[in-house]
Parts: sequence; structure tokens; C-alpha cells
Amino acid sequence: MIEDRAAADGLEPDVVEADTAPKKPAPYRLLVVAILLLTLLLLPLGRPVLGSYNYIILLVTNTLMWVAMASSWNILGGYAGYISLGHAVFLGIGGYVAAVPLFYYDVSPFLTAVVGGLVAMAVGLVAGLITLRTRGPAFIISTIALLFMFLLIFEQIDYFGGTAGLSLPIVPLPRDWLKAPFYYAMLIAAVGSILLSYRVAHSKFGLGLRAIAEDETKAEVAGVPTRFYKILAFALSAFWVGFVGAMWGYSLSFVRPTLFFTIAISAQMVLMVIIGGRGSVAGPVVGAILIMTINEFSLIQFGASEINIVIAGALLVTVLLFFPLGIVGTLRSRSWLPAFLDWD
Amino acid sequence: MTEYLQVAIFGLLLGGVYALFASGLTLAFGVMRIVNLAHAVFIVASAYIAFFAFEHLGIDPLLSIVFIMPLMFVFGVGVYMALFSRIEGSARYVEMTVLLTFGIAIMIEGLLGWRFTGIFRQAAPGYLTEAFFIGDFLVPTGQFYAAMLSLVLLIGLWAFLRFTRTGYGIRATMQNRAAAQLVGVNVRRVSAISFGISAALAGASGAMMSYLFPFFPFRHWQWIALLLALVVLGGMGSLKGAVVGALILGVASSLVVDQIGPGWGPMVFYAALFVILLVRPRGLFGKEVTA
Repeated sequence: MIEDRAAADGLEPDVVEADTAPKKPAPYRLLVVAILLLTLLLLPLGRPVLGSYNYIILLVTNTLMWVAMASSWNILGGYAGYISLGHAVFLGIGGYVAAVPLFYYDVSPFLTAVVGGLVAMAVGLVAGLITLRTRGPAFIISTIALLFMFLLIFEQIDYFGGTAGLSLPIVPLPRDWLKAPFYYAMLIAAVGSILLSYRVAHSKFGLGLRAIAEDETKAEVAGVPTRFYKILAFALSAFWVGFVGAMWGYSLSFVRPTLFFTIAISAQMVLMVIIGGRGSVAGPVVGAILIMTINEFSLIQFGASEINIVIAGALLVTVLLFFPLGIVGTLRSRSWLPAFLDWD
Repeated sequence: MTEYLQVAIFGLLLGGVYALFASGLTLAFGVMRIVNLAHAVFIVASAYIAFFAFEHLGIDPLLSIVFIMPLMFVFGVGVYMALFSRIEGSARYVEMTVLLTFGIAIMIEGLLGWRFTGIFRQAAPGYLTEAFFIGDFLVPTGQFYAAMLSLVLLIGLWAFLRFTRTGYGIRATMQNRAAAQLVGVNVRRVSAISFGISAALAGASGAMMSYLFPFFPFRHWQWIALLLALVVLGGMGSLKGAVVGALILGVASSLVVDQIGPGWGPMVFYAALFVILLVRPRGLFGKEVTA
């Protein structure tokens, strides 16, 4: 598969080594990215001129948040091929790591968000030490158990507010600018997680993860430090989810176990990555944007109903049965992938 | 001491029901290597059938298995034919089944939520609030009936696997799929039937859930987490393991609920899962499992 990829990229098989160093993207792709980034950076600033467009800001903020989460999930679930249904744990960890100091000691989550990410990483490391002793189905099951274990702990301990959670103060900013800091935080998370995903994809580490996904036993025989790589992948895939969780809780002005530690959150991540295309840098981004659009559309069309869950499930089943490579993977296999989406 | 014994009796009754809930799950994995994340949503869907049959037609939940089980059997065979037969032999098959059943679970959950909303339901047959005494020990009648019916169904399942020709085929497929095919077992037919049986067991479980445990659509995730933990503890694909695991965890969680608090019961399941992963990843009675 590695050779195929190299061939598809127009590289000779014997220069696969060069693939381990970050490849220089074409100028055209950089231009697209630069324009996109600039637009995103300036979007909230148009407010005084253009009047209120909170809806769009909120929509983009949420999409950026999911881009960050899907890209992070992809590091473990896409590159290494280890499906985690427990990644919502890291969102919750981040949320509470930021919420508790704010609630009790009035420490701003903008300061603790990174700590939230780091603690999520540490939890990922410890969880990985235990859960990654198994492969395949037992691993997936243990991630589900991990999620429910955390839900239970946070529901039962009064210090964390129990089932009701903690109510947080609103950001001390003028009303017009309430959304802006979260927008930029999520933008940082999205860009950061895509960069991380890109760096991993183009490193020896990423190559090792892909080897693990292909055939773990062979990878191990070939000298890939599989255990270390897997645990590292688990931890890395937790960081930005934790960061995002810290910001999300603050932006909602409350944290509650059933909102954060829920398999519905994990389901979204899985859905986005599978539909967008597992194991590619652009896949989770495409998937996140698509699913957010569908969710928003069905919300407008059907109101707050369960219909979007049905659509999500049906989409997942359809994609798995007919396009297992996802959008980006399928397009690439037919050489229809536009260059600005080709980051692998 | 009497108190502990009393708690242990509650736990055993509960464990008997858990064993039935988990039996279909472990059967699907044992025969077809399907990790069915939708198993609990099958149970919840069946619970809705039993609930409405009781509310509108006055049919006793335990009696309703007479039509729920065949219904779910047909449903299971249909799902297998329509979806799983397509992915047979695909690369990373087990993982595919997880993702596929994940999608199915979300879909059914959404449909249930859309039709029946998210409110708690619980059927209330007369025996729900009754209880009787064996010696000094209190036995809730509803739980007792459910545990006995579970026992009957599990023995029936065992006898079916042990003594019928299809049962031979199923067990052969469990032991070695390729070899079974080689000696003339129609593996596809056996798989479809097994998945049907698995769904039928979910149907019976749902009939019991309808009055034993309050349910709503989203609840199935909590159940699947418990049941999967239990199945991993017993050894994936092992029916014996599922039953033993269910009884152990039923008693253990009842003790924890009694001693620490009602919210902490499920913790036993997750803790047991992590301990078994550390000590013996294949589970109590399981074979080594790889993707």
C-alpha cells in the first residue's frame, strides 16, 4: 500500500524514504490554504461593518471544533486502524479540567485549555497502556467501557457537580464579542490538529502506524515499536480533543457529564472520519464539514428531532458497504481528487 | 451474613437475566465474528414491542416472547442477509462489523426516539410489585420469573446447539469456520440462522427488560457497554463464559450497590473488564482473539 501511495504521488518506489520528510506542497495548494486561513481569521472582524451574523460565526466555530476532533481521532482510528469509541472521554476531561478551576477559583479557561489538552493526553497514555494490550474487537469494547466508566465517575462525585454538572460564569466581554474568543480558540485547535495530523502522516512514526494498520504482526517483525507507537498515537489523538473540550464547556457556560461523556460525541467523530476518508489528512476535514452541513440542514428542515441521527446511521452503513474508503479515499482511487485536498 | 446472602440472591436473579441478555451477543461473535453493537438496541426495540403489547392489548410481557422471538428471528436473518453477507471475507472484517452495527444501532435508536420520544417506559404487570419468601429470604416475583425464563431459554439454546443438526453446524462453525465449510456445513445458512437466533434472544431479553428495567431509546448504549464488558470477561464467543460472567457480575454489582451506592453498580462491570484485560486478555473461557 505504501508503494501504491508513492506511485500515486508520482514518486519512484525507491524514494519512499523521502516521503518520511514533510513533502513540499505545490504553491497552488498553499495559495488555497492561505486564502482560506485569511478568510477564517478575518471572519469575526467584519462584525461592526456587516452587522450581526452570530449564526454564521457559531456555525463555523462548531465546524472548526469538529474538524479538530475528527482530525485527532483519525490519528489513532485512521492511521493506526484502532477504532476508539471512547474519545468523548477526552472532550469531557478537557471540559472539566477547565471548568473546575473556573468554578472554584475563577481561573480563566483560556489559560487552562492547554492544560486540559495535556491532561487528556495523560489520560490517553494511561488508558492506552491498559486498552492497547488487546487488538481488534476487545480494544473497541474497552474504549466503550472507558467512556462509561468516566461518565459514572463524574456523575457520582459531588465535587464535579454530580449529574447536574457545573454552571460556569459567562465570558467577561461585551455582548457583541462573546463569540469571538471561542471562534479563534477553535480555529487554533482545527489548524493545530490538521498540522499535527499532517506531521504524523509524513513521519516515520506515521509510516509505522500505517504498517500497524496493515498488519500488526508483520509490522512488529519488521522492527516497528508497535506498542510504543500505538500508545503515543492514542495520547496524541487526545490532546486537541481535550483542548476543544475546555473551550466548548466555557462557551456553553456549563459542563455536564451526560453532555460530554456521551457515545453520541464519539459517534460523530467516527462518522466524520469514515465518511470523509480514513487515514488521510483531508478526509476528516471533509467529513466534518459535510456532517455539520447535513446536521444543520436537517435541523432546519425537520426541527430538533431524531431524524439527523437516523440519517447519520444510514450514511455510515451506506458508506461502509459501498465506499469503504470514504470520500477522499474513493476520489483518490479514481484519480479525481482535487490537488488542494491531497495532503498525503 | 443473612444480609449478604439476601443481596447475593438479588444478584443471582439479576445475573440470570444478564446471562440471557449477553447470550445472543456472544453467540453472534462466536459464530460469525460479529461484534454486534446493535444488540442492546435490538433488546430495547423488543422492549417497546412488549411494552405496547402490554399497554394496548394486555398481553403479559413474559408471554409476549411467543411472538417477539419469531419476529426478531426473521428480522435477524433479514439483517444478516441484507448487510453482513455483503462484507463476508472483506479485509478487517471484525472491525467492519463493529462499524456497521454501530451505524445500525444509531439508525434504530434514532427511529425509536423519533416514534416513541425519549421518555422512560416500564410495563407494570401485577407481579412487578409482588414478592415471596424462601425461608428468611425475600424473592421479588417479577425478577424470579424472569430469571427462571432466562434459565429455560438458555437450557433450550444449549440443547439446540448440542443435539440438533443445525446446532452441530453452528458449533462446528464456531470452532473452525473454514474446516466446517470443508466438511459440508453451509456456513452462510448457519450464520444467518445464528444471527436470527441471536436477535430472537435479544427479543426475549427485551420482553424482560420491558418490566424489569425502565428504558428509553438512548439507554441501549449503557446496556451494550455492560453486556460487552461481561462478554469480554467471560471470553468473547463463549456461551459458558457469558453465563458465568453474568452471574459473577450480577452478584458483585449487587454487593457494590448495597455497600457503596446505587450509582456505582455498573462500575463493577468496567473494572472487571480492565482487570481481565490486564491479567488475561482472552477472558475466562475465551480463545485468543485477533482482528
